[in-house]
Amino acid sequence: MNRILVTILGVGVIGMFTACGGVSELTRERVARSETSVQQAQQTLGNSEEGALDMQRARENIEAARRELEEGNAEAAERFAVRAQLYADLAVAKSESAEARRAADELQASLRTLREEANRQEGTN
Amino acid sequence: MKTRITKAGVRALVAAAIGITLAACSTTPERIESLETARAQVGTVESSPRAGVAATYISEARRSLDTANRLADAGGDREDIEYHAEVASLNAQIANNKILAAQARDEINRAEEERQAVLIKSRERQAQAQAQQAREAELRAETLEQELSDLKAKKTARGVELTLGDVLFATGESTLKPAAFRTVDRLAEVLKEDPNRKVVIEGHTDSVGSEEFNQQLSERRAMAVQSALVTRGVSPDQITAIGRGESMPIASNEDAGGRQQNRRVELIFQDGEGRSRVASDSD
Repeated sequence: MNRILVTILGVGVIGMFTACGGVSELTRERVARSETSVQQAQQTLGNSEEGALDMQRARENIEAARRELEEGNAEAAERFAVRAQLYADLAVAKSESAEARRAADELQASLRTLREEANRQEGTN
Repeated sequence: MKTRITKAGVRALVAAAIGITLAACSTTPERIESLETARAQVGTVESSPRAGVAATYISEARRSLDTANRLADAGGDREDIEYHAEVASLNAQIANNKILAAQARDEINRAEEERQAVLIKSRERQAQAQAQQAREAELRAETLEQELSDLKAKKTARGVELTLGDVLFATGESTLKPAAFRTVDRLAEVLKEDPNRKVVIEGHTDSVGSEEFNQQLSERRAMAVQSALVTRGVSPDQITAIGRGESMPIASNEDAGGRQQNRRVELIFQDGEGRSRVASDSD
């Protein structure tokens, strides 16, 4: 009788561990890393408009990843974590390219003014 | 009746057969929008000349796209296909933004080089213009020297002085004689060429007559020369007219020759910096 009880308890414990431990430490680390990346991206962007939408998606995905972790869905958690990381990277890349474009446009405008000024000088001289 | 049923049955069978055949022919793989988008995006970044700046993202995009394509070809799970397509698309978009940023930076570098070139050229042009102005100023100074020399100007302690003798005025009068016009014309040209140059016009008389009369006469004569110069376009700002009366003789008033020398108008020239230059022309 005792042996039967121990067996039942053992199976129960193993079953419980299987359910909770369905998510490996590696997955948890991946989700945590992704979460850190999203936070860093948010700090980099600040209140910048460029990439704001992608940043929102990154946050939504990281929340979804956390939910999946809690529910023990490792693969779904990892996929949301990957998406979150990529959306955060995309937000930063968009912000950087917009910044570079703005700088290039400003310089081009200043160059145009300089050229006009130089041409005027040439005309005067 | 029996015949009609048979014909209807045959038509139904034929229609069903055609339907089945068409259905079989149209069994093409299901179109997945996100996969189509990812294919286009990955193709675009791969063919960019600046693909090198985003090599990691592009290779990751390609890897995910290949996986999505393989799954789609094998009739794999739609959710899996869409996941890999999304990963491919996101990597391609990141790569695209990195390429755009690199292109903008290239543009900045080229514009900066061009800006430097324009600035250098502009400075060179300014230097040339300044050198030209300096040459012209020098030429003007030489011309002035020449003019003053031609007018027999002389350097004195007060500066370069030009003395207009009393032959330019009728005796006791302050109206310039026509004989004075040529000299006044040349003086006007010299002063107009360099608006920074100033001249002090001083009227002087001999001691014949009352001191008061001589003072007024000297003032009127100085003002007559001033007026003649202004009429010829010289700015009044360049001219100061003063009457000295009989107070500053340059020769004896005892004899006619000395008195004639004392009846005069002197012009004392100064350059723009207030240094005195003088011309002298005694009759």
